[in-house]
Amino acid sequence: MFLLSICRWLAETHISIMMRDATYDFAIVEVGHLLALAVFGGAVLLVNLRFLDWRFKKQPASQVARELLPLTAGGVIVMLVSGLLLFLAGPVRYYHNPAFRLKVILFVIALFFHFILQVKTARQVSDRGRTSPWLKAGAVLSLLLWFMIGLAGRAIGYV
Amino acid sequence: MPSLLHICEWVSATHFSTFIRESPYWFPIIEGIHTLGITAVVGTIAVLDLRLLGLIMKREPVSGIARQVLPWTWAGFAVMFVTGVLLSIAEAATNYYNWAFRIKLILLVLVGINPLIFHLTVYRKVDTWDLANVTPLRARAAAISSLFLWACIIVAGRLIAYVNM
Repeated sequence: MFLLSICRWLAETHISIMMRDATYDFAIVEVGHLLALAVFGGAVLLVNLRFLDWRFKKQPASQVARELLPLTAGGVIVMLVSGLLLFLAGPVRYYHNPAFRLKVILFVIALFFHFILQVKTARQVSDRGRTSPWLKAGAVLSLLLWFMIGLAGRAIGYV
Repeated sequence: MPSLLHICEWVSATHFSTFIRESPYWFPIIEGIHTLGITAVVGTIAVLDLRLLGLIMKREPVSGIARQVLPWTWAGFAVMFVTGVLLSIAEAATNYYNWAFRIKLILLVLVGINPLIFHLTVYRKVDTWDLANVTPLRARAAAISSLFLWACIIVAGRLIAYVNM
């Protein structure tokens, strides 16, 4: 198995050994992961609520998508880096964890899907008024995906 | 008058508490929803706080953002509160001794006092600084306290499980 041998190799690296053996490293990185999640989750919620025409109706959807992009993109970058560090604490263990696998697959889908949606909308010029049914459907799917990723993430520690 | 510890022990012995604590599904599911509820609360309030600090959505009036964001903050709070009570019931006996849990309760009181002061004082005159990029000092102080306190609440909340181990 190609991925498994990469995980085995990663487990031997210095950073992996540090994440596994240091007393507080895992807890500190995990808390950082959660803090980024809080900022990211709220911003994603508001962006998608705008796409659904439920909030910020007076502002164009493009403007809300643009102005909250630093929070959603910044949050996802911090979560990706901290998440990678958490993964390094036990690459082989996580490789076999079904909740982790599900989370990674859903995350890759959501990452591309949500940010294509948000960046494309942010680049639109004239979009006053109501959003298209496509954008609304996209917003629902985005919320659903991130919600499942959150639950799958919590499940990693239990399975 | 029964002591708080006795009440916690009694709660912990109820069928309901035992059921959540020992269920392989309910505790993790409630905990997962609790975490996502916090995300809704803290993430939406952070948008307002960052606007008060003049960092994002600078062209929008502060009151406009508050009106758009706060109903969802409250909705998230309701989810967080209900799931939080359920988790506290499930772990009543151990949480009584848990210092992270005690700190979290104190922080939650403080984080409630903060917007109370904000809304009763500087926010009353919001029409005079609604569009300002640099908001009054007291508004910025409230924003920083809010961000700091919520961050501490998340840290303390996560620590509860580490202390209980």
